[in-house]
Amino acid sequence: MAAIEIHGLSKRFGEVAAVDDLSFTAREGAVTGFLGPNGAGKSTTLRMLLGLVRPSEGTATIGGTPYAELAEPFRHVGAVLEADAFHPGRRARDHLRVLAVAAGLPLARVDAVLREVDLADAGHRRVNGFSLGMRQRLGLATALLGEPEILILDEPANGLDPEGVHWLRQYLRAFADGGGTVLVSSHVLAEVAQTVDDVVIIADGRLVTQSSLTELANRSRAGVRVRTPQVEALRDALLAQGIAAQLVAADALVAMESTAEAVGLAAAGAGAVIYEMTPEHFNLEEMFLELTTSEGASR
Amino acid sequence: MKNLIHAELLKLRTTRAFWAYIAAALAFVPVSIALSITTASDTAPLTSSEGLRGVISAASAGGLLVLLIGITMMAGEFRHNTATTTFLITPVRNRVIAAKVAAGTIVGLVLAAASSVLTVAVALPWLAARDIDVSLLSGDVGVPVLGAFIATGLAAAVGIGLGALMPNQTLAITVVVVWTSIVEALLVGFLPEVGRWLPTGAASALGGTVTAEGALLPFWGAALVLTGYALAIAAAGANLLTRKEIA
Repeated sequence: MAAIEIHGLSKRFGEVAAVDDLSFTAREGAVTGFLGPNGAGKSTTLRMLLGLVRPSEGTATIGGTPYAELAEPFRHVGAVLEADAFHPGRRARDHLRVLAVAAGLPLARVDAVLREVDLADAGHRRVNGFSLGMRQRLGLATALLGEPEILILDEPANGLDPEGVHWLRQYLRAFADGGGTVLVSSHVLAEVAQTVDDVVIIADGRLVTQSSLTELANRSRAGVRVRTPQVEALRDALLAQGIAAQLVAADALVAMESTAEAVGLAAAGAGAVIYEMTPEHFNLEEMFLELTTSEGASR
Repeated sequence: MKNLIHAELLKLRTTRAFWAYIAAALAFVPVSIALSITTASDTAPLTSSEGLRGVISAASAGGLLVLLIGITMMAGEFRHNTATTTFLITPVRNRVIAAKVAAGTIVGLVLAAASSVLTVAVALPWLAARDIDVSLLSGDVGVPVLGAFIATGLAAAVGIGLGALMPNQTLAITVVVVWTSIVEALLVGFLPEVGRWLPTGAASALGGTVTAEGALLPFWGAALVLTGYALAIAAAGANLLTRKEIA
């Protein structure tokens, strides 16, 4: 059973469908990136998953059970939905103490999570003196308090400095490698591309695609861009080798899903003069934009 | 449930605003006593039962501040976005409301006890200095003190219910302060047939505030009316909260 399972989930606010018949899963031992432009319905979906917003239709379950029906939800799922969800006048350690008491957790967990997020020395300080990065880490400490197997983070990288982003990536990677489930939302694919195993892409509340990151990358058009005065001759030579090519200018073409070696060999065989040859790496971010905007435009 | 009540009390104790409210509530006590003693009128002189109860009504001076504490306990969760985590730990929202009401009531009762002790410690020597001897065990002390426990004990539940009904904390506090100290105060004073049935009128009757003869409800009537308000407002707040989208 998937750790997180969303099935036919919809949320309508009046006439507007914020989430529309959405289904996807997130598996154990993997970081799943939940991606889509701002306003795509990511936060609403996560809040329905966590029992904070009532779905209009469909189900969202954690290990087969709706969040609100879990016996001790805080011990199974840790979530950070807002960057700043603290009483500003409360000391960081007191914030965690309150939650530990409410959740029936030992107070030793408070100091353990403060150490885990590198806030051990700041625990006695009031949160209003915290930087955004420190608040983000305190938010993560809050989520980790119950030693959950599942982490759900909504746009965690917003406002983090590069060092913080790097730290978070490593943390989430290690969490998933240890068998945990991570569902992390973002509106910037590049932000999570280095961390995620799987991606779920939504636009306008609908699923665009769910796949592994590798699969997504393979689907994108890697190729070789070639500048030559004999574009027609080269294209025919490439076709003879089974390589599709697209003319992109009077003196340039792109050999699809190919390598510089294969294109070079074909050019030598055809006697074509090469001015310039550039391997084009797939660009996930461009593909993400294309996927999410074309879906939006089709509605 | 015990954990949740404990957590709510800890939430209060770990903010400075709470202690400021408590300090203000206790500061009202000597101020109220001083006003009652220095402005005692001929219709209710300090030697009369009404006059004495008016002085001892200082014991319930903290009621409004407990009401405001109740508002911050609930509306503050929305103001500071802590509602999300609170309901992630306890998805059954009625349990959160129940724990808050229990914790707020404990705060109200402890404050009533402290205010009563302070009232007796300040008022009795002051009255004795004016050659008015009051027994600690007399009804003129006992009844307003009992009223203070009831009114202050119920105040938090009213505030928590209002905080759920008006999640905008600043708005809720403004509405409550204007309503109790202006609208209700005027109605109690000038239209007692309406004012006596309102929460402030009932709380005044419990505390022993001096008013024109028969203007307020009798003690037990006021206790019932105020309990009814507290239950109704807390229940309305809980009802709204369970349906609310936490977004």
